[in-house]
Amino acid sequence: MIRAKNLLLSYLLPFLALCGFLFLYIPIIVLVLFSFNSSDIPFVWEGFSLKWYYALWQSSDIWQALQNSLIVAFSSVCLSLIMGILFVFYGARTILGKFFIMFYASLATPEIVLAVGLLSLLSFFSVPLGLPALIAGHTLIGLGYVVPIISARYQELDKRYLEAALDLGASEGLALRKVMVPLLMPALLASALLVFVLSLDDFIISFFCSGGTTQTLPIYIFVMIRAGASPVVNALSTMLLVISSFLVLLFSSLKIKKTDLLQ
Amino acid sequence: MAMPAVAWQIVFFYIPLLIVFLYSVVNISSGVLHLTLAHYAYFMQPLFLKIMGKSLMLALVTAIMCLLLAYPIAYCLAVRITHYKNIFLFFLILPFWTSLMVQVYSWFFILEHNGLINSILMKLRLISTPLHLLNTPFAVYLVMVYCYLPFMIMPLYSALEKIDKRMFEASADLGASQWQTFKNITLPLSMPGIQTGFFLVFVPSFGEFVVPTLLGGGKQLYVGSLITQYFLAARDVHLGSAFTILSGLVLLAAVGILYWYFNGSKSKTAKGERA
Repeated sequence: MIRAKNLLLSYLLPFLALCGFLFLYIPIIVLVLFSFNSSDIPFVWEGFSLKWYYALWQSSDIWQALQNSLIVAFSSVCLSLIMGILFVFYGARTILGKFFIMFYASLATPEIVLAVGLLSLLSFFSVPLGLPALIAGHTLIGLGYVVPIISARYQELDKRYLEAALDLGASEGLALRKVMVPLLMPALLASALLVFVLSLDDFIISFFCSGGTTQTLPIYIFVMIRAGASPVVNALSTMLLVISSFLVLLFSSLKIKKTDLLQ
Repeated sequence: MAMPAVAWQIVFFYIPLLIVFLYSVVNISSGVLHLTLAHYAYFMQPLFLKIMGKSLMLALVTAIMCLLLAYPIAYCLAVRITHYKNIFLFFLILPFWTSLMVQVYSWFFILEHNGLINSILMKLRLISTPLHLLNTPFAVYLVMVYCYLPFMIMPLYSALEKIDKRMFEASADLGASQWQTFKNITLPLSMPGIQTGFFLVFVPSFGEFVVPTLLGGGKQLYVGSLITQYFLAARDVHLGSAFTILSGLVLLAAVGILYWYFNGSKSKTAKGERA
């Protein structure tokens, strides 16, 4: 009886895991597959074709949305990284360092509350919506990830490098640039990637704060979904997937380097 | 020099919260500002309490379903698979980094009126008229679980990975069956992961509005969609702010109860074992 139960568990568990994995991937596979569909009707497979990718290439709306998304993403990454490093480096030694728990609050609240807050702030001061508002919001989210990641890595660092640099006559700024930043590089790159992807994929804050005219890629897809499925969106989604996979590969390779450093 | 980050956080997070709170308790009538709780009172109706209840139910069911689905995956990956672990990990992290919109769209594509499922079933002549899959609670719950599954898998995998594998050997040596090992060792030791994953799914699911709006049609009203309507459609900042704060409080209460549930029972078992 126990043998049978053991056998069942041995096969049941992997089977369930496989089902779960399939559940995760089948929609994505279907999506990618049908982006190569030559038929105009999205769900009837006619033949292999790249025409939707051509349509993607020619759509000025999508290029504009991509441009907006990239501008916001790069700006948010730069801003949150710079502010994050400055905070961890200069703040850790002073009383301000104790305040770092305040960065966790924005992580814990649902994004819709953040979006509502931003919208209220902007309308209260009559600031127009648009890309700067998005950058502000995404940087806020980014800080919530950058500060814990960098600060954790900073704690693990050997502080004697810093002392040595200062003893040798470097100013704090020089020590930061030439000593700390290279040592923190894996954490910096990892959090940069993370914030980049978060900003690129962000929908809720973008939706609330973009105003009527500016669109980022997720907003564009949202609008297209409302209008009904279209193979162009399949092509766009596939491209986004390819980019995400590439970024995940980068991120994973960073992890390997981190453990090398520790050894 | 450390100020910029702190200033940013204050300006874009704490001050906005304050402003939202102010909007919710203030009323401008005939140009005069005065404090009022009328906005909050407005929401003390069964309709709105039902909406909050629906969202709580959505969050709870999503979290539970994610847990049930994620556990086998995380377990097999952490405990069973020894070769090619990195490849599996890559495929596990990938959905986590996929845009929400892409995920929603892929299900939209499958479930639509003449979408994939219906076309296949019609071609196989299993049904004669298309199934009504979109704009149903089923679609909403299904896609919610799909989108939040990676958030549950990661903490679970993390926690399960940390368990010393020799415990399983020891347990088997002492005569426990696989089920007993699971119940008495694996499950309790993975509790921190279960807890983290549960909250990582529960909290955002409560305020989710993308999935219910796109896949539930206009009829499925949840907290997120209502807040969106107040701010973007009706442009009523006062009611919207009051509702946001109310929902925030409800969420806090729910999280508190869940936390007590997880940690209250933990201390009970600890006491039991020591006795």
